[in-house]
Amino acid sequence: MKNWTELENSSFFDANARERALGMVDKGTFTEFLNPLDRYCSPHLPVLGTAVEFDDGTVCGVGLLGKHPVFVVSMEGKFIGGAIGEVNGGKMVATIRLALKAAADIKAKYPEEYAARRPLVAVSFETGGVRLHEANAGLLAHAEVMDAFQDCRGIVPVVAVVGSKVGCFGGMGFVAAATDVIVMNEEGRIGLTGPEVIEQEMGKDEFDASNKALVYRTTGAKHKYIIQDCNYLVEDKIGEFHKTLAEVAEIPMAEIEKMRRIGSLKLVQEQQELVKLVGDMQPKDSMDLWKYFGNEDPAALPEMTTAEFLKVVKRRVRS
Amino acid sequence: MEELDNTMIGRGRDAIDMIIDKDSFQENIIDGYSFDPDYGPGSVVGTAKLNGKPTTIIANDAMAFNDRFPVVFGGVIGLEEGYKMATAVYRTMEADKDKPLPEKRAIVLIVDTPGNGPGKMEEIAGMNKSTGGYQLALAEARKAGHPIVAMVIGRAISGAFLCHGLQADHILALSKDFGTMIHVMPLTSIARITKMDIERLEELSTSNPVFAAGVDFFYKLGGVQEIVNQVEDMREVIIRHIDEVAKLKAEGKGELLGPWGRGILGNERGGRTHRMEAIAKVNAEFAAVADKYINA
Repeated sequence: MKNWTELENSSFFDANARERALGMVDKGTFTEFLNPLDRYCSPHLPVLGTAVEFDDGTVCGVGLLGKHPVFVVSMEGKFIGGAIGEVNGGKMVATIRLALKAAADIKAKYPEEYAARRPLVAVSFETGGVRLHEANAGLLAHAEVMDAFQDCRGIVPVVAVVGSKVGCFGGMGFVAAATDVIVMNEEGRIGLTGPEVIEQEMGKDEFDASNKALVYRTTGAKHKYIIQDCNYLVEDKIGEFHKTLAEVAEIPMAEIEKMRRIGSLKLVQEQQELVKLVGDMQPKDSMDLWKYFGNEDPAALPEMTTAEFLKVVKRRVRS
Repeated sequence: MEELDNTMIGRGRDAIDMIIDKDSFQENIIDGYSFDPDYGPGSVVGTAKLNGKPTTIIANDAMAFNDRFPVVFGGVIGLEEGYKMATAVYRTMEADKDKPLPEKRAIVLIVDTPGNGPGKMEEIAGMNKSTGGYQLALAEARKAGHPIVAMVIGRAISGAFLCHGLQADHILALSKDFGTMIHVMPLTSIARITKMDIERLEELSTSNPVFAAGVDFFYKLGGVQEIVNQVEDMREVIIRHIDEVAKLKAEGKGELLGPWGRGILGNERGGRTHRMEAIAKVNAEFAAVADKYINA
């Protein structure tokens, strides 16, 4: 495995879950919970004749960004599509809740320094949602994560990090939307219904799941950035994600709250405006919306590098 | 599925009448706020009296179509529906924001939904935000003290159940005799996606609560608090659970409710014991290194 310095300069997209977890926090600070040596695997997969992974496909742990403890969840898309079952779901929920416990401990011990030591939750999503082999337990785990996120509101920032091969779909698509801050690289994708299912529902003429460009335009990071569903679009280097998380760790909670897209009546009203626009416009393609938001030549945007794109892009103006 | 003459599938509006005080439903009204009656027709929101107390009702309407978003029919929760349901929750909180805990009105979710809106327009606008926004609203209301009870009368499928049901304090379901369906995917789809043998899956599905479809399995996992065996009993059982939930909240025992409470219940009922064990191990492993991170 690469050392930390090598990881910082490596592609986030190509990295596995453990490399992402290690590289998103400061050098040498990561401690993994229930690491592969513990061999705490899913008891349900062998029953169905499916191989297990010693970390159950999700790396959880704690690291530091300066003095900020960072509670990390990092999903491995190569293991059953990064899907969530009973054990890795439990690990995920426990890790998020530990951030709240740490916040309370730090507040009690360092009341004057809370802002400088405030914990952070960072979830690197690479998942299609519920693991079908243990679907019911996976579904219930999703609800627990949403509940834990709501507990974190106003106390510790919760950051979604999305930029891996599988993207972030199914139930985890709304879990990501429910975070405070979303950081993506260009390859990142977030959605609810995966492209194949849309094709199945609507027909190939309406949505061709094999058309990669169309899939990226619909759920990819550039679209998410334009409609303000992605707060930071960064270059595909683990170090860039690390740097961005360190920046977020310093932002006051009141400002963090403003980076959200859902979670209050006012935000619901803001999203309803977008829904009304889409209902009136009946866009055939995300590019119709990009044009509406002031991008004269929307077809040029997908081809641009991240740096070029960030220089010229026009985004939805938030009310 | 065999035809059942007693099923409540598709009968969300009938269920409202069976549950509430007679003729007390004011659709599209919550406190002083009025909803646009044309907006999000796949969901039904409003205020009713339940045992004499004002109660917010949120249900699916499987007979409605949404002209602007054609994927919405048969009880599907679309973009407008999710935000309408979220608004109903926020307006409920607003209505009681200055009232003490015992006076926070209950929210009753009547669940019969096959899915969240699947479509290109839905993905372009971000259907994940609509369903996620509603869930966050319910979680906030639950933590603010409103008793939330979900009654599954028909279909509670996958992400739509997460959206409309799984953030409640307590979840009740009509028994399988009514054709009630709680699952993520039918076995045929699980077989296709996991490439597992359908016969083997069918055999396992008779005994494995972790993946198999059905109300009884969700009960074992703690996902359903109580199974209701008669349609006529829904009203009394809901009222009883609202009172139980309110009592636990008054005693500061919110941790026994909602998704976390269902985890505790799933452990007690023996259906989900590994989750609890994993959580305990993670907590212990952090405790061993906590000083290094707390005192960095």
